[in-house]
Order: sequence, then C-alpha cells, then structure tokens
Amino acid sequence: MEEITFRIAPESKVRKKPSFLKPWMSIKYLFKKPVTIKIPYESLEPAKDYRGFHTLNWKTCIGCNMCGQICPARAIEMTWIEVDGKVEKRPHPKVDYGRCTFCQFCVDVCPTNALGFAESYMLTTEWKDEELQLFDWVPIPPETFREIQESRRDWRFPVERIKFNKETKEVTYYLKNGEEFKFKILGYGLKPPAAAKPKPAAKPAAKSVEKKEEPKAEKKEAPAKPEEKKE
Amino acid sequence: MIETALKALFILLYATFVGFMFMGIIRIVTARIHRRVGPPIYQPILDTIKLLSKKSNITHGLIYDFGILYAVGATVLAVMFIPLGNVGVLRAYGDLILITFLLEIPMLGIMFAAMSSGNPWAGIGAQRALLTLLAIQVPLGFAIVALAEYYGTFSTYQIVMAQQTMGWSIAHLPLLLAAIAYDLVLQAMFGKEPFDIMIAPGEISLGPMVEFGGKHMGLLNIQHAIALFAETLFFSNIFLGGGVVTAFASPILNTIASLGVLLVKQVAVLLVATFMAAIFPRFTIDQAAKFYWKWPTIIAALGAILASL
Ligand code: SF4
Ligand code: SF4
Repeated sequence: MEEITFRIAPESKVRKKPSFLKPWMSIKYLFKKPVTIKIPYESLEPAKDYRGFHTLNWKTCIGCNMCGQICPARAIEMTWIEVDGKVEKRPHPKVDYGRCTFCQFCVDVCPTNALGFAESYMLTTEWKDEELQLFDWVPIPPETFREIQESRRDWRFPVERIKFNKETKEVTYYLKNGEEFKFKILGYGLKPPAAAKPKPAAKPAAKSVEKKEEPKAEKKEAPAKPEEKKE
Repeated sequence: MIETALKALFILLYATFVGFMFMGIIRIVTARIHRRVGPPIYQPILDTIKLLSKKSNITHGLIYDFGILYAVGATVLAVMFIPLGNVGVLRAYGDLILITFLLEIPMLGIMFAAMSSGNPWAGIGAQRALLTLLAIQVPLGFAIVALAEYYGTFSTYQIVMAQQTMGWSIAHLPLLLAAIAYDLVLQAMFGKEPFDIMIAPGEISLGPMVEFGGKHMGLLNIQHAIALFAETLFFSNIFLGGGVVTAFASPILNTIASLGVLLVKQVAVLLVATFMAAIFPRFTIDQAAKFYWKWPTIIAALGAILASL
C-alpha cells in the first residue's frame, strides 16, 4: 500500500515569540481613516437579491399552499381576500414577520413564481398594538414594492401603517408612496370561509376551489408529518 | 477667604470639565486605534447627566452611599493640593506623600461601597483592586523616594519650581527611571487596560461597579473624571516640569498660559496611557502583582539609588 504523508506545519513555524514592542505597531491605525459607515448619513446598499420582504403577484398566485407547507417557521397562513367587492377565487399567503426567518424557501417552492422578494429589510415599530399590525401582511405586488423601493432607497418596509377594521374586516395598507391599498379579509385557512359563499357570483368558484383544495391539502399534509417528527 | 473659595470652585469646575474631556479623548483615541469613529468628545458628560437623572436608585445602606461620597471627596481634596500652574488653594502643603495617598483613597471608598452591596462580583472586584493597590505601592514608593532624594524636598510646588531652573525631571536619568515606573503605575491608577483588573469588564462584570446604578454611577463618573485630571496633573507637575509661566506681564495671561501648557502635558500623559490601554490585553491579578514587584520596582529602585548617589 502506498504510504501517505500528511503535511503538518511544524510547531516552530506556527508559534511566535511574544513581544513587548510589536503591539505598539497598531498605533499606526490612529492616523488612518476609520472603516465605518456613518449610518444616518451614509447608507449601505444591500446586495442584489438580498433576502428581504416578500412580494406577491396576486394575479398568478393559485393558492396551492406550497409555500405554507415548506415554511419552516409556519409563518404563512392562507387568507381569503375580497378586492373591490369581488372574492378572489384562491386564497393568498399571508406572511407573519414575527416568525419568518427570511429563508425564502417559500419563494423557491412557489410553482407559479407568484411569491418573490425584494431587498428591503428594515422594519421597526414601537410596542403599540396598532403598529405591530405591520408584521403581518399579505405581500403587495412586486411592481408596487419595487417602485417604492426605488424611489426611497432606504430599504424599509413599504407600508407605513396597516389598519384592520374588525367589524367590516377591511384592511388598508397606507403605502409609503401615499397610496392606499384596500381589501377585505374574509377568512383564513384552506377552506373558503362562509362569507365567501353566499355571494352568487363567487359561489361556483369558491366551491370548485373547495373540491380541488381539500383532497390536495390532505395529501400534502400526510407526507408533511414525518418531516415534522424529524425536526 | 472668599477669594480662596472662588479659587477652589474654579479648580473644581475646571478639573471636572477637563476630566470629562479627557474621558472623551480616551474614547475617541481608543476608537481610532480600532479604526472606529467613536463618540463625540462630550459623550461622558451626556452619560453622566443621564445617570444622574435616573429615576430609581438602589441603595444598600449608609456605607453604600457614604463610600461613593468618600471617594469623590478624597479626589476633590487631592486636586486642591496639587499645584495647578500658579492657581492653587493648598499647594504650599501639597507634599508628595499626601497627594499619592489621597489619590489612592478613592479606590478605598469605592471598595467600601462595593463591599457593602453584598454582591459576590463586587467582592471579587474589591479583592483584586486591593491587591493591585498593594502591588503598585512598591514602585510608587521608590519613585517618590527618588524624587524626594533628588530635589531634597517633599513639596510638590517646590519640585515644580526647581524644575523651572534645573530643567524637567525626566531629563535626569534617575528621575527618568522613576517616571517610567510611575507611568506604569498610572495605568493601574487610571484603571486602564493592562492593569484594569479590578474593573475587568467582561471578566467579572465590572467588578466593584457591578451594583452601582443611577446617581451612584453618575457620581463615580464625576469622580473618575476628576481623578483622571488629578493623576495626569500630578504626573505633569512632578516629572514634566509643571506649568508656571511668567512670560507675560499680566497675571491673568500668565495663568491662562500656564493652564494651557499644563493641559498639553496632561494630554500627553493621557495619550501614552490610552495607547497602552488600547494595545495591551489585561493581566491576570497574579501576573499584575508579579509584574509590579518586578520590573517597575527594579526600575524605580535603580532610580532611587542613582538619585541618592
Ligand atoms: S406557493 Fe406560490 S402560488 Fe402557491 S399559494 Fe404560495 S404564493 Fe401562491
Ligand atoms: S421566507 Fe422562509 S420563513 Fe419566511 S415565510 Fe418564506 S418559507 Fe417561511
């Protein structure tokens, strides 16, 4: 058998002699320019495709809940939405940034590329309940998000304030560019909520979703369980 | 009488303000060596104001409060004895031993307060501080003896005046040795890095200071500022020729000039201490004791012997 020699750096080459004078060399940095980013005055550009907040194309999301299943933090919940008096046929994912780890698995797994992300990463609020609403949103369409991001370039959450009216279930996003983004949340989960049913226009659509959705959901849930056990 | 009181007040205010600036300088210089920007120079003042305006103050009894006041009082008293250019309240009585002693008293005051808090970290910190205090006595004593032997007097003011005619102390070899030893001791007196064993942030979570908060910590900050001023001032006075300027006709101009000269010298002392603090890691307490009883003692003893020849 061929002999193998492992190369090991000898002790004498690795060990240095302690010195009293050498530490004084570091005083040279006193006269060099500090390597600092003065944050309120200068800003740092995040890398392209830095994993930030999500965007969602409401037109192409098919409500398949793939994102909800892969999410390691269970941050995604399907939400039934009514825009301008019309119930959306499919549920859309709602992301909870209190739990999200920004792994962007949900973006990779989305079959229609409806879910995306932008580079914005800053979201700070006070402890007040109404401000904490900001952490829980149905992501806005990518064009709007990008537009706000490009115009401000402060890498902050594009929504200033989220108002949720408990009675009418109406949600208003006050976007940073001054626009308002309104819709109603009818319910959560994979099954269409009762509120979506009585409307004659939405009825057939909602039912078909129900038929398709339920068996799918059950199938998906079954293989998901052993995964949970592994964790 | 009133004039003396005004003078004392001036010295106190000046010492506090300059001391805070020194603390700011330390932070900026340390930051620059780390290639950071650092806080603005008046940051320690803001810190102290914040601490003094805290709502809740914990106290553990009379000694806990008294120890802090004792430390502040001793530092203020020390400043009064050290000649500050040609302003001085008690400078005629400011002999070397008294000032050296007064500069160490604050540490005892802090120990009082720390020990009465009953926190084990504070206890460890106090032990370490007392051992450091013990260790620095030997080189410090020799340095003082060398000075007294060389000039034939214990009075700080007379030493300053003698340097006016004979040149700075550090220009003479025996006193240069004493100055080197004293500078190493200063590091421990400031509580700066190679010998900041009693404070040891990160090692014993601030040591004696662990229990202090609010007003106690604010007062300690003030004490630290004045102590920085006093220690650098004392060093500049006995080794760097003090600052008595008599070049101008008007006494006020003379005073301002001498304060300015002193300030430059003090900042020089401070910068050396800051550099050492920024580039050397902390000693353990046994290493520090061994160190002080070895090199500074040998150097200072050599200086004392040379001075008496
Ligand atoms: S995986 Fe994509 S299409 Fe499916 S629900 Fe999530 S966002 Fe919509
Ligand atoms: S980024 Fe990761 S943690 Fe956040 S919602 Fe998507 S899958 Fe869940």
